[in-house]
Amino acid sequence: MQTFHYKKSTNVEGAVASGGPHASFIAGGTTLVDLMKLNVMRPAMLVDINALPLDKIERTPDGGLRIGAMVRNSDLAHDATVEKEFPVLSQALLSGASPQLRNMATTGGNLLQRTRCYYFRDTAYACNKRAPGSGCAAMDGYNRIHAILGTSEHCIATHPSDMAVAMMALEAVVHIRGAKGERAVPLNEFYRLPGNTPQIENVLEPGDLITHVTIPALPEGARSHYLKRRDRASYEFALASAAVITQVQGRNLQHVRVALGGVGTMPWRSKEAEQALDGKPANEESFREAAEVALRGAKPLHDNAFKVELAKRTLVRALKVATQAA
Amino acid sequence: MSSSPIGQPVTRIDGKLKVTGRATYAVEHAIPNFVYGVAVSSTIGSGRIKTISTAEAEKMPGVLAILHHGNIEKLYHPAGALEETSRPGESRPPFEDDIIYYYGQYVALVVAETFEQAQDAAAHVRVEYAAKKPIVRLDDAEQPPKIERHEKDDNGFDEADITYTRGTADDAYEQAEVKLDATYVTPIETHNPMEMHGTVAVWNGNKITLYESTQGVVNHRNVATQVLGLPAESVEVISPFIGSGFGSKLFPWPHSWMAAIAARKVKRPVKVSVPRQLMFTCVGHRPTCEQHIRLGASKDGKLTAFMNDVRQSRSFIDEYTEDCVDPTSMLYSCPNVAAVQWPMKMNTGNPTPMRGPGRVPALFGIESAMDEMAEKLGIDPVQFRLLNYAEKDESDGKAWSSKHLRDAYQEGAKRFGWEQRNPKVGSMRKGEEILGWGMATMTWPAHQRDAEVRVRFLADGTVRASCATQDIGTGTYTVFAEVVADKTGIPVQKIDVKLGDSALPPGPTSGGSSATTTVIPAIVQATEKAMAAVVKAAAKTPGSPFEKADLKTLKFSQGRVHRANDEASSGIPFEQILQKAKLAGLDGHAKTNTTEDQKKYSTHSFGAHFCEVSYDPEIVRLRVTRWLAVVDGGRMINLKTARNQIQGAVTMGIGMGLLEETVYDTRTGHPINNNYADYLVSVNTDVPPVEVVFLDYPDKIMNEYGARGIGEIGLSGCASAIASAAYHATGVRVRELPIRMEKLMKG
Amino acid sequence: MKKKEDALDTDGLTRRSFLSKLGATGIAATAAPLLAGVVDAQVETSPSPAKPTGAHVVPVTLRVNGQEHRLQLEPRVTLLDALRENLHLFGTKKGCDHGQCGACTVHVNGRRVNSCLSFAIMHEGDEVTTIEGLSNGEELHPVQAAFLEHDGFQCGYCTSGQMMSAAALLKEPCGEDDDSVRECMSGNICRCGAYPNIVAAVQQARKRA
Repeated sequence: MQTFHYKKSTNVEGAVASGGPHASFIAGGTTLVDLMKLNVMRPAMLVDINALPLDKIERTPDGGLRIGAMVRNSDLAHDATVEKEFPVLSQALLSGASPQLRNMATTGGNLLQRTRCYYFRDTAYACNKRAPGSGCAAMDGYNRIHAILGTSEHCIATHPSDMAVAMMALEAVVHIRGAKGERAVPLNEFYRLPGNTPQIENVLEPGDLITHVTIPALPEGARSHYLKRRDRASYEFALASAAVITQVQGRNLQHVRVALGGVGTMPWRSKEAEQALDGKPANEESFREAAEVALRGAKPLHDNAFKVELAKRTLVRALKVATQAA
Repeated sequence: MSSSPIGQPVTRIDGKLKVTGRATYAVEHAIPNFVYGVAVSSTIGSGRIKTISTAEAEKMPGVLAILHHGNIEKLYHPAGALEETSRPGESRPPFEDDIIYYYGQYVALVVAETFEQAQDAAAHVRVEYAAKKPIVRLDDAEQPPKIERHEKDDNGFDEADITYTRGTADDAYEQAEVKLDATYVTPIETHNPMEMHGTVAVWNGNKITLYESTQGVVNHRNVATQVLGLPAESVEVISPFIGSGFGSKLFPWPHSWMAAIAARKVKRPVKVSVPRQLMFTCVGHRPTCEQHIRLGASKDGKLTAFMNDVRQSRSFIDEYTEDCVDPTSMLYSCPNVAAVQWPMKMNTGNPTPMRGPGRVPALFGIESAMDEMAEKLGIDPVQFRLLNYAEKDESDGKAWSSKHLRDAYQEGAKRFGWEQRNPKVGSMRKGEEILGWGMATMTWPAHQRDAEVRVRFLADGTVRASCATQDIGTGTYTVFAEVVADKTGIPVQKIDVKLGDSALPPGPTSGGSSATTTVIPAIVQATEKAMAAVVKAAAKTPGSPFEKADLKTLKFSQGRVHRANDEASSGIPFEQILQKAKLAGLDGHAKTNTTEDQKKYSTHSFGAHFCEVSYDPEIVRLRVTRWLAVVDGGRMINLKTARNQIQGAVTMGIGMGLLEETVYDTRTGHPINNNYADYLVSVNTDVPPVEVVFLDYPDKIMNEYGARGIGEIGLSGCASAIASAAYHATGVRVRELPIRMEKLMKG
Repeated sequence: MKKKEDALDTDGLTRRSFLSKLGATGIAATAAPLLAGVVDAQVETSPSPAKPTGAHVVPVTLRVNGQEHRLQLEPRVTLLDALRENLHLFGTKKGCDHGQCGACTVHVNGRRVNSCLSFAIMHEGDEVTTIEGLSNGEELHPVQAAFLEHDGFQCGYCTSGQMMSAAALLKEPCGEDDDSVRECMSGNICRCGAYPNIVAAVQQARKRA
């Protein structure tokens, strides 16, 4: 790891003023320190934002939640309101990483988690995300864990976050403070597909700081569920996951929200699946059809073809569980 | 009167050090003034180093030296197989030349004042390579032209028989009423002990002390003397605590010599820690093993032919094979057996024994094939094994020293409720999920090797037992204390055990499940000699109540010398005798090795695994939900640590069955999942309750307690029990480990 | 896609150059000018080449097990390395250095964290507790006593991390059944596989604590 300058900020204005193209904010550190050790991320300056007063979970006037960027994953997962009203978020958080890592990782940082692609994480390989224009070693490499949705010929890396998948379904809004002031970006517009520029993963400009995330209230009686599939039973990134939210009106579904994890180059909201389910009866046939629609654009590679079917089945099961719940 | 601790659940005598964080592992020794060595490793899998440019790194803060093939001092090759007393993990000394044999091979070592400085500078060493396409798959490797027969070594983890035949297997197979022909593959696995390998090298004049994480301080010392060209008395290897090894720390690896020469160069102690990613390339692995198995049987379930054609990976550096042939030849009764093993050269580091070498991969194939054949025959898998029970070791005709495998099958079946098993695939359910039940045999040979032990009674009332073996977590410290306590009647807590230092009387390497069996006779004899010395002192010391007593009338028990006809309580505590005799202490020293009796018998442990998996077909989720292991492993010395060994082996077995595989990028030869997040081992949630039953038949051929060693046996058979259970639940027979969801989806 | 060809291996001998384990992005970032005019400086560091070792060290005060330690550290020293290499508190273990095993688990302000993924300098003002500070003198913490009694380890190397996790778990919202304990303890890998005993030990400690 190279040397760097270190600075601790105690207020948002100061932090933003310290940010810039060669500085990184450090919160939990679970991604950044890891990648700095691998020389994959090499900030010249670290701005420690752990002391920023952004650690509250508050009710918004519309009944939703305002979650400070520094709220730790474990605190968010075990928040009574989250557990009760947004179980999909609690479940997603608790399915990620380990209790220790969840004590460190923050809401803002988790949205910015970097990919687990082996080739991104190893500087001996070509990687367009790490070294733009160098090529993609994963494309013809071992790509079992890689994405099948949203890929381009330049990048097939998955976004690893579980929390972001749930937040995608929850239609979260990211609140950002930057040099030009404050702005709010719906999470659905926050991430960028890799396309020709896989090094650009989201809309943040250098120096932008996520201050908080808001999630709107769910409609009365909405049910939600997060289901994650992986090889071992815990402490592993998703091979496929699904976050679903829906209301069952009579026999039929409405307000359906579907997002997939472990399969996309970003947390993958499937509006196509949502439309396919809207107004349909809550049964296996509808679920299966929605799953087919959600994975219609999938581009399987040499080692990850199984993810297409796995993601479908994961989504079907998540919908079943969500609609069965009393 | 205190009862013997042998066979009881005894709390480890070193346990308190471990639960308080005070047990000192290799790179944790307090050495003043030391500096850090960080390795630069190859990013190609095969080829040559063209240039190494160190100019930039040398100028970085804190950098003291950079070693590589262009500037290294002379190192020698270890004698290896030329002599009996030493064996390296890799015979090639570090930086010997510019040739790259495998990805991750050390190409330079940066020494700097701090760890961070050394790491940063290592990242600035520029290496230019001429690369060739590496071979990292058996299918890309060359089949050797002919099979060489190797000497069979009875160490249990050494060179294997490469061929074995009895009867006429080809003909018998052709004529068999029922045939099975299937190929089973176990991947390269990586040991991944929690403590990464490491060395602190400290020179004192021409003498060197190596603080190591090693499973064999004596072997490590012996190899060090050869590589460094030093007399034995100039090298001391110290390893009081080892963060386990599972075989990867059996034999020394190049980082140890890198630390030694770096320390000589910078004239300060040097600490080298092998980072987790290089644990996948530089300190061994379990070779991949492909077994082409053909079984022939009569319709009534008697095996008539057993053939196993094995391809196994090795490196381009050193010869290495592990024995898949032996289990093929001895596990079942069958008149016609043919087994052959082909070592295939690949661009990986050297493979090295990993828990249950040879037998563990072999039993995945053999036991899976037995399960498949049982199904073909329509015979229950347990019954099929009983029908082909080997009443003697048919590989060499010897009688078993003690075999109660039949009991293990029957006891296991009874406890597991095996008779409830419906053999129809997918027929057993629990709620929404499908249950699968599987079982498999386990086996591992028992061996006794050479050991010397010193036992010393001290005037302060304690007893000290010492030996240059080591405790890798199996509980060897406590075994010593228990045996001494059993013989002397002195409580375990008062026995001070000193292990893990090559300066102590030579002891065995902790491998092959043989450390316990090897040290027991030596501890017993040394203790008895020390007791005799105390009794003699009691009779010789003026003023002793037993002065001039006939030695035959005296006895040592309960820590006291007393008249044989009287109660121990009437006697004098040994420390008082020592004090009276003005002695600091009295020693007993014993050296033992394999007995003639042991050579007459086939000495093996056996057992049976029974497991249940639960399968959720819709989301392709397979979990192990219940486990029973019945072990015929002789007498357990310590029930508590013994149970832990078997549970731990099953934990590793669940990993082997469902998770573990070192995956190589075929373009670079890079183990692409070379970290603990991508190379998956079982976590707590993966492991169900594991019931362990010890049959407790002492094997008196092995030693007076009847102990046989249990480090490896628990892992043998695990993966095939899981594969058979998975088949029972899913209908998919996975013949290539690990059993991943995509393989189940294909079925 | 010439660059891709370059960086990856192809048949036969190719002439390639690697900056060993260092990506193309690295150099640019290193050479980048540092930011000027930094405000809000509660703690600010800059390279101080005056130090004899040439290290860019800054003063860092760490409070560990109730004791204050004034150290001279580079900002890039992790909490784990500071504990082990500078304070010689070797009870906290390095198993992977990347947050993938849990051997380095310590408590920061009463919560368990992976000390390998945090810089020491970030913990000024925090209360750090390591295994050496878990017990009260020679009297074992209930978790330690339970691990000893239930043989919740073999080699002992992951044990400190397991116990620090277990001690934290006593105060966390973890379900009462064994499955919940398994899940709450899954951030600590035990390659020896003492998990069944670890679960038993944790359950006993919960009853007694």
